[in-house]
Amino acid sequence: MTMNCERGVARLMDYLEGVVPRAARERIESHVAGCARCRAFVVSYRATPLILRVATARKPTVDERRRLLAALSARRHGRES
Amino acid sequence: MGRGPARAAKSDEELAARAASGEDAAFDALVSRYQERVYRLAWRLTGEPEDALDVTQEVFLKLLRRLGSFRGESRFGTWLYRVATNEALMHRRAKKRRPAESLERFLPGFDSNGLHRSTPEALRVPAQAGERLDRERLAGFAMGAIERLPEAYRVAFVLRDLEELSTEEVARTLGLKSATVRQRVHRARLMLRGYLGHLVEENSR
Repeated sequence: MTMNCERGVARLMDYLEGVVPRAARERIESHVAGCARCRAFVVSYRATPLILRVATARKPTVDERRRLLAALSARRHGRES
Repeated sequence: MGRGPARAAKSDEELAARAASGEDAAFDALVSRYQERVYRLAWRLTGEPEDALDVTQEVFLKLLRRLGSFRGESRFGTWLYRVATNEALMHRRAKKRRPAESLERFLPGFDSNGLHRSTPEALRVPAQAGERLDRERLAGFAMGAIERLPEAYRVAFVLRDLEELSTEEVARTLGLKSATVRQRVHRARLMLRGYLGHLVEENSR
């Protein structure tokens, strides 16, 4: 089957995870090498998880940690009594 | 002095076994090791700090109750992520949120020959979201976008791409085949990628 942008995009994650058979992998690589649009697409596809990972990172506040530990401690001692 | 052995213990499974035999310091060590990860996962799946805290608390209480029966049948981390995911989803469902508008329209477009419709410049735009959008606004948009994914995609994407589990770990956590996880994560990435591009363009006008 002839490779094009749509077929390449459909297999992009499989390709990046190394689970595409060799022949198909070579067809994808050959297409992308000659396609500026696909190269641009791959850049933004790969950037997407990182951008969202950074944007949604969050840690419990000091107060939240204190509340968590207090709740766990109360339950543990309740269990033990 | 009782904290020494727990701190020296390396594996989660060993800490769980010690905690099950009543060693408080071992349980504290597990909480300390995992509280940020559980909280962050819960936050990403519920979108509310208060819900994230409730879920985190419930997950560790559940761990406390099950310590005695925990036999390391699956790796501790996998077990904890599974419980945390289920708790977060139950919490979320209980809130009966309004169905959000789908992100389907942000999927990439192709012409009748299967070629990208957009220019290379336009296709690269989503990658600029981190630099071109204000950090706080991006955080809000990001949570809103993840919220709009269908649940099956959202969970797979959060575990795989945001919590950085491997595809195989996500598959074990959710009881799915790896191929199914890849398909869901891929679909989520495509929609979110398109949405990031839309945000950049909208905020550049």
